[in-house]
Order: sequence, then C-alpha cells, then structure tokens
Amino acid sequence: MRRPFQALLLLLTGAGVLRVSLFSDIGLRYVKEGLQPFLVASGLALCALGLIGVRRDGLALFERGQGHDGAHSDAVIQSSHGHDHSHGPRIAWLLLPPALALLLFAPPALGSYTATRNNPKIVEDYDRFEPLPAHGPAPLSLTEFIARAQQDDEQSLKGRTVLMQGFVTPGKDGTWDLTRLLVSCCAADSQSLTVKMHAVKAPPADTWVKVTGTWHPRGALGTTSAALALDVATVQRIAEPPIPYIDRAPPVD
Amino acid sequence: MNEADGLVKDLRVDTSRQPGTGTGPDRPAPTSILAAGAASALIIGGLAWVAGAADWLSHPGFRAWQTVCVAITVQALPFLILGTLISGAVNAFVPAHAFSKALPRNPVLAVPVASAAGIVLPGCECASVPVAGSLIRRGVTPAAAFAFLLSAPAVNPIVLTATAVAFPGKPEVVAARLIASLAVSAAMGWLWLRLGRSEWLRMPARHTGHQQGHSRWEEFRLGFQHDFLHAGGFLVLGAMAAATFNVTVPRSVLDTFSGSPWMSVLFLAGLAVVLAVCSEADAFVAASLTGFSPTARLTFMVVGPMVDVKLIALQAGTFGRAFAVRFSAATTVVAIVCSALVGWWLL
Repeated sequence: MRRPFQALLLLLTGAGVLRVSLFSDIGLRYVKEGLQPFLVASGLALCALGLIGVRRDGLALFERGQGHDGAHSDAVIQSSHGHDHSHGPRIAWLLLPPALALLLFAPPALGSYTATRNNPKIVEDYDRFEPLPAHGPAPLSLTEFIARAQQDDEQSLKGRTVLMQGFVTPGKDGTWDLTRLLVSCCAADSQSLTVKMHAVKAPPADTWVKVTGTWHPRGALGTTSAALALDVATVQRIAEPPIPYIDRAPPVD
Repeated sequence: MNEADGLVKDLRVDTSRQPGTGTGPDRPAPTSILAAGAASALIIGGLAWVAGAADWLSHPGFRAWQTVCVAITVQALPFLILGTLISGAVNAFVPAHAFSKALPRNPVLAVPVASAAGIVLPGCECASVPVAGSLIRRGVTPAAAFAFLLSAPAVNPIVLTATAVAFPGKPEVVAARLIASLAVSAAMGWLWLRLGRSEWLRMPARHTGHQQGHSRWEEFRLGFQHDFLHAGGFLVLGAMAAATFNVTVPRSVLDTFSGSPWMSVLFLAGLAVVLAVCSEADAFVAASLTGFSPTARLTFMVVGPMVDVKLIALQAGTFGRAFAVRFSAATTVVAIVCSALVGWWLL
C-alpha cells in the first residue's frame, strides 16, 4: 500500500468512527455507551494523523489521476526510500470494508436472529422491590419483570397490568417473545432476556413494541417455577430506542 | 485500487493479443474502449452478484455477522490506537536500553517483574500486542515482553473490577483469575527462556528507534501510521473469524459439554479462543455460563485474554506467523493447566 493511500485509509477510518460516535448514535449498535468518548478521541486522532499524512504525502486520488503507469511511480518511491517504508502493509486494505461500512451502510443492531441463539442473561438477585405505582399499568424493564415474577415473595405482579418494551422474536404455537439484548462491552458478548407473549398474534420479527398485559398464571408467582410470560392486552409499535442494548422501563405517556 | 491497476493491465495485454479485431494488430486499445469494457464487465458482474447473492446478503445471519464483525473492530480500535501510540512513542522518544535498566538484569527474574508490570496498562488485549512489540525493539528480553503481553490484559484494575462486578459476592473468583493469569504469564516467559528460538520471531525490521538527522515527530507519525494500519488489518481479519464463530456456533452445544468436568474445561477454553470476547467483558460472559463448573469458567477467563483468534491474527502480524502459532498453542496448554490447578485450589 503506497503512502498516500495509507493517509487516505487513516482519514476514512477516522471519519467512519466519528460518524458513528460524534455525529450519530449508530455506534451504540456496536459498543457500550461508556466507550463513546474513546471512540470520538480515536476518530479525531486518526483524522488528524490522516490529514497530516495527506499534507506530507499528497492525496492518493490526485496522484493517481496524473501517473497512469502505477508500476513506474511505485518503483521510484521504493528505490528512494528503501524497502518497506513507502509500501505499507497489504493487509491494511482489510480496514477499508469496515471503514466504508461505518461511513455508508452501517449494519443494524442485533435482533431476533441473535436472540434465539445466544445465551440468556442471568437476572441478579434483588434485595427488595420498590412498591409499584398505585394506578395504571406499571412500567417495568424486562429484568425487573423477571425478577418480580420469580423472586418477589409479596407477589407484587399479582393482578397488576404492566407495561414493557422490547423487540419481537417469533416463537412456536402462536406465542412470541418480547426480547432485549444486553451488552456488557460490545455486540459480540450480547446476552438475551425474553418474556413469552400469549393471546396476541405476533407482530413481524424485529419490530420494536410496547406491550401491556398481566402475568400469565403458570407456576407459583414469586418462586422460580413462575412462568416468564405475559397475557397481552395491547401491543403498540414504537421506534427502535437510541441505545438498543440497555433494558429500561418504557416511559409512561 | 492496486487490484484495479492490475485489471487494466491484464485487459491491455488481452486485447493486444487479438490481431484480428478492429483495433488493429499493434496499436494498444484506446483508453476509452478499455474503460468502457471494464465498466460493463463491472456492471454485469455486479448485477450477477446482486441477483445471486441477494438472498444470502439479506439473510439475518449474514447481517448479524456484519454487525458483530464491525462491533469487534470498533470496540478494539481505541485500545489498538492506545497501544500503537504508546508503542510509537516508545520507539521514537525512549532511549534504547532504558527498559533493560529498569528490569532486573537476570532474565529469570525479569519475567515475573514484567508479569506484575502488566497491572499498569489499562485496557484489553489489543493494546498489549503493539506495546510488547515495541518493548522487544527497545532491548527488553523477549521472555519478559511476552510475560507482559500475556498478563497486561488479564490483571489490570479495569478487568479485575469487571470480574468482581460479574461475580458479586465471590471475591475468590477475582483472586483466582489474578493468580492464574500471573502464573501463566510467568510460566510462558520462563518457557520461552528455555525453549524459545529467536528465529521464530520475525518482526518488521524497520523500527530502529530514533535516528540522527530525522525529526522525532515524523518518525513517530510514520511509525504509528505503519503499525496501526498493519495491526488494524489483522484486527479486522481476527474480527471476521470471531464473528463467524459467534454467529454460527449455536449456544445449544454448550449444554452438551457442561456435564463432564474435564470436557467442560477444555470446551470453554476452546470457546474463549473462538469467541474472542474482549477481556473487559469476558467475565460477564463467563458469569452467564451457569451450567459449567467454576473451574471451567475460570479457564474461560484465563485463556480468553491470552489466546483468541483476533489475538493470533494480531500476533502473527506483529511477531510473525511461526511465532504466533507456537506461542498461542503453548499458551493455551499452560493456561488450561494453571486454571485447573488454581480452580481446584481456590474455587
């Protein structure tokens, strides 16, 4: 790889990283929120070094336009600088597809395909549960719903309508799963949380929905035998949240 | 675009070999015809590719693969840049032999000191490969640099804190991880002293430190540019391999192996190698593998930061393929043995 291309590749990679971290929330489809400042810093550093490189070595595109005999100009650079100084590593071209992907066609957040195949997240033990709001459907994260169903001795879910959000994973026998994927560092380590949905036809896979419903009475509520399932009353489509991998209770409108 | 050059040259050769065509026997085809030919070939090829591959490209598995691949790359970039910046700075600004003075002269003693020094490099394994490379170039004995390479991603405070968070109320897991990781890194350093051969190491020879008459900043910039692009390419290669395993290995195979204690240790060691989860996150993955024995999960956390497909690719780029293969294989064996012993002792 000739030196002007190296600078160009640094610029492209930096621009791609900045696009998903500084100028949009796309980066949150891939990594946890805490990494965002480091991504911005990385993008700025790459762009700065790329710009310096362009100033010192020229821009690859312009140089190509003039010298059509690429082999000839290569040979000149090579002999004047020694072996592998001007010719960077070939393998660096592999950086181009991810850089272009980040710039032009950023892949979507993980969805139902991954949720059906990865391992379920373990919900930690709660010490105590806050009382649910007295009126209306109680907004809960999937984590809290699962914890209340299986750990709460006081059976706070009994007879209550709850409100949850997640995306749709198709299931069997007329049921489907309300799903969240949780990420502790990057999308490669995602774990899933699912609650089975009864009584309502499944929306298309991967759509984000807000559901209300009551606990599906099977097993003993407040013990590990309690079913992680909901008898759905309403389903409402919502937009994908900006941070897809954090399990939050939906806002009440 | 080098490929594009090659394409144009090939076309030119082909057309000039056909004397019967209208362009004349000796005259090379005009550039416009070549351009039009190349463009139509590209368009036809592109159409065929899109038509044939459309199903495959829109398959959710392939999209998940893309996402995971980009995610691993993006996640590792800041750490790779940090490591490359440190390595570039060491190369351009630190005088030769400064580190050899700081380390004990006797390499046998230098190895454990270097293992313990791994505590200071915060971050995951991608940062430690270029740093270890620059240490060797600055005269640190390779055995000590490798001990540092192995221990840094596993024993730094960020990773140990993450482990404590992932295993609440079980400080013995953190202790076991620290002890086993230090033990493996020191053991590998000593093993290199006994068995290692310098001809396995094939490091790019261009880094010679600061040279008289060159600007230090320019050396730093070119060193960074070269190292980052080099390591970045290998990082993407490793990310593609890891994403392939991540998407294609269904987690149901986990249950098949969780029953037998020995198989589960070996299986989770293999899983750590192919999944290439960042060392800051692997504790959370290990915590979720509830069907497995604590020792097997410890093995996952000890092997992961030291050997995985992404790291093998990075090491092959930095130290040469002959080294990466032998070193990774030996490290895996040593890490499994150490984790089994420490797990049996502490967990």
